[in-house]
Amino acid sequence: MASTQHALLSPAELAYLHAALSLTPPIRPDGRSPAQFRPLVAETGILPGTNGSARICFADGTEAIVGVKAEVERTRGGYEGEIVEGGGAEEVVTDVNDEEKKGESDWVEMTVEIPGLRDDDATTAFLGAMISEALLADGGFSRRLWINRRFHWKLYLDILLISPPLSYPLPLLSLTTHLALLATRLPRLKSEGDEDPFFDDDWAAARYLYPRNKKDGKTTARPPVTLLVMAVGNNIIFDPAKEELAVADVALAVSIGEDATTAATATGDDASLMMDVDSTTAAAAITSARNLRLLSIRTIDPPSRLTPSGVPNATNTAYGAATTQKQPEARTAEAEAVEGVWRAPRGGAKPLVMAALVHKVLEKGGIADEVLDALHAVDLG
Amino acid sequence: MASSSSIALPGQLLGPASKFQPGPGTHIHQSNLYSSLLGVVHISQPAKAPGPTKRLTKITPAPAPAELPTVSVSRSGVSEKREVLPEVGNTVLCRVIRITPRQAVVAILICGDTVLHAEWQGLIRVQDVRATEKDKVKIYESFRPGDIVRAEVISLGDQANFYLSTARNELGVLLATSEAGNNMFPVNWKEYQDPETGVSEPRKVARPY
Amino acid sequence: MTDRRRINGPVGATIPLVFEDVEDYEQVATKAARSRAPNAVRKMYLKTGVTPSASGSAYLEIETSGKGGVSGLKLSCTVYGPRSLPRSSPFSPHIILSTHVKYAPFATKQRRGYLRDPAERDLGSHLEAALRGAIIADRWPKSGVDIIVSIIEGDQDRETSKTQGDEAWDIMNALSGCITVASAALADAGIDCVDTVAGGVAALVRDTADSSPSIVVDPIPSEHEKILASCCVAYLPTRNEVTNLWYKGDLPASDMELYTKLVEKGIQASTNANRVLLECLGETVN
Repeated sequence: MASTQHALLSPAELAYLHAALSLTPPIRPDGRSPAQFRPLVAETGILPGTNGSARICFADGTEAIVGVKAEVERTRGGYEGEIVEGGGAEEVVTDVNDEEKKGESDWVEMTVEIPGLRDDDATTAFLGAMISEALLADGGFSRRLWINRRFHWKLYLDILLISPPLSYPLPLLSLTTHLALLATRLPRLKSEGDEDPFFDDDWAAARYLYPRNKKDGKTTARPPVTLLVMAVGNNIIFDPAKEELAVADVALAVSIGEDATTAATATGDDASLMMDVDSTTAAAAITSARNLRLLSIRTIDPPSRLTPSGVPNATNTAYGAATTQKQPEARTAEAEAVEGVWRAPRGGAKPLVMAALVHKVLEKGGIADEVLDALHAVDLG
Repeated sequence: MASSSSIALPGQLLGPASKFQPGPGTHIHQSNLYSSLLGVVHISQPAKAPGPTKRLTKITPAPAPAELPTVSVSRSGVSEKREVLPEVGNTVLCRVIRITPRQAVVAILICGDTVLHAEWQGLIRVQDVRATEKDKVKIYESFRPGDIVRAEVISLGDQANFYLSTARNELGVLLATSEAGNNMFPVNWKEYQDPETGVSEPRKVARPY
Repeated sequence: MTDRRRINGPVGATIPLVFEDVEDYEQVATKAARSRAPNAVRKMYLKTGVTPSASGSAYLEIETSGKGGVSGLKLSCTVYGPRSLPRSSPFSPHIILSTHVKYAPFATKQRRGYLRDPAERDLGSHLEAALRGAIIADRWPKSGVDIIVSIIEGDQDRETSKTQGDEAWDIMNALSGCITVASAALADAGIDCVDTVAGGVAALVRDTADSSPSIVVDPIPSEHEKILASCCVAYLPTRNEVTNLWYKGDLPASDMELYTKLVEKGIQASTNANRVLLECLGETVN
């Protein structure tokens, strides 16, 4: 869990950080605004041996590589009888409508590797489950892996964190996976219908897993992105660093996707048609056309719950508090919270706070829009 | 000592923090006292409260200037199995496991009057064995493996051990076995004697009550 | 790679033919309906102190949906501790929680192995997050507590085909049960908690292909045509706080109302479970 990586901060430092982040506007230790992300360097297609790959390097030195490998696999439960040539009833259906293309979640296998953590560590399992959960949320992704009724692609996503986890690695891993999937290409299918698949050798002819627009080379649909959001006091802070997460009241991982169908119409003819009518409404239409989907939300156990609490002066014997107890080390009594003295938070978060966090991510022109816009700008090569 | 008693569930409101002092098994949330255990509520009046309540002292509250009744929730009567954590100031009974020239390693068996189920390890360092002539103390002249010792907790210690002290007259070895394997009886403040062989062995002897 | 240590079957194996019984098929089709009101949760049975050797324990059973052959959820939770940490672990000013959730090998339609798979580990970390918010960790410095939940019977309909039910949704019900039963066992073990935490599930479902989606609490996935979204909430009723929220599904982001309602219903389901929990704890004392 998040709690396994402690930021080594004293109670006084924690109290100071908490107070600074609770101000309006909050003052973050690295001077970012509440919704500002850390700068990052991203590139795709770095590994020629894979079907798709990406690398992202954050400014703080954390770096992740994702490689995507695809294999053809026989579909379980699909009919495996021979297709008899000219066999009366067994007619080979060539056009399968989209409804029939049904994917299964075990067509995608995801492994996360974080240096210094065991493979069976809870953090690794949690991160892997979170990223694959978002990917498979609507069943739309595994449908892309459908070849015919007998065969499908099996996708292996290997996520490697190269640096030690200096901050909670979820946003980094999610973004890298996002880019790797955008860059993923599968060989062009030459065979037809349900016969054994046979592919084009020409890599240049390979199709993108997420098809792109001919005109601008941008994709229409996009894989999901997971964002890390936290709340301190009344403030909502995005992309928290490790130190900020150490004083979080609540932290959420929110996965969002982009609906393909409406985005396509917006970039297509509809938008230009609207342009003639009124440019302002058209601009509004384009921004609203990004049809965001809420795919998954998980509560991250904030490490703040495992931070050491401070001792207020009133009960600190070193500051002349009533020394009725002989031992200065005796357990601190249960007492009211004192202003400026750090206390590890207890309990959970109010439902309203959680709703506000999610709302902040999803609102029009909100963070989700911004992040997706930024990802659009990444050159996919 | 309990002026009234009733059952409390975790999260149950016990009263405002301005009227009561929080005792063991309670916590404060937004100026109110809530129960944090499933158990019986005790409200003890301040006149009697400062006494040695060694029953289930998870938290010993520092008496506030205004003497308020202490409200606590205890597990006694609810479940036979109750676990307590040895705490600074508690008197514990322990068995010596092994000795080195610098320290004696003990297993804490009883804390206050509660038998512990879990194994907590304690450490009596050579400087904590007795109050006087600390520099002349030798561990092997004070404890032997297998002895039952009454000691006081002086620190939560490091990750593995609680630090204990026997630097008081009533603290020290209570039961000892001789090298011949017989139970011995104390003869003076630093010796136990074997009733059969008549050989005496050095120990840090606890004063009998 | 071929397995040379065992005697293998013939290479060109065929799948036995399965004839679909028309009558049975119809029966299955009619079965798949929810008989409860959308706001009603299933009845549950909770008892603490079932494992004498453990510091605290509890057993939870959720009623079957009233049809034969459908297993309810059966969970058993044991809590060991607080006890001293192993020598190798560093000093901790707090209690160290370790949660293990394990499906019994026979709990689900498909047999599970003895080793915990990633899904079970994931359940364990969800449970840990839910409980960590509820316990008062600094009451027990340098001690650890092990919380072990065994799912004796998963909430799965044996009658439905493998393709119909999706295990991904069943896991939400399992988690909410785990949270409730672990909370009871923690109270039984005498570990300080700020409140009693209980789990609740709500889902946005579509019953027939062309009907409008509706929100139900405590859903049984096999009773619905399609589950669009589902959320599991761990809720502290007296503090009005959520310690763990797990949402999964596909909702338009423009419709925040739907999401808010879903969470509200989850909280409602959790409050219902909490009532059972409090009654059970009250019985333990008397």
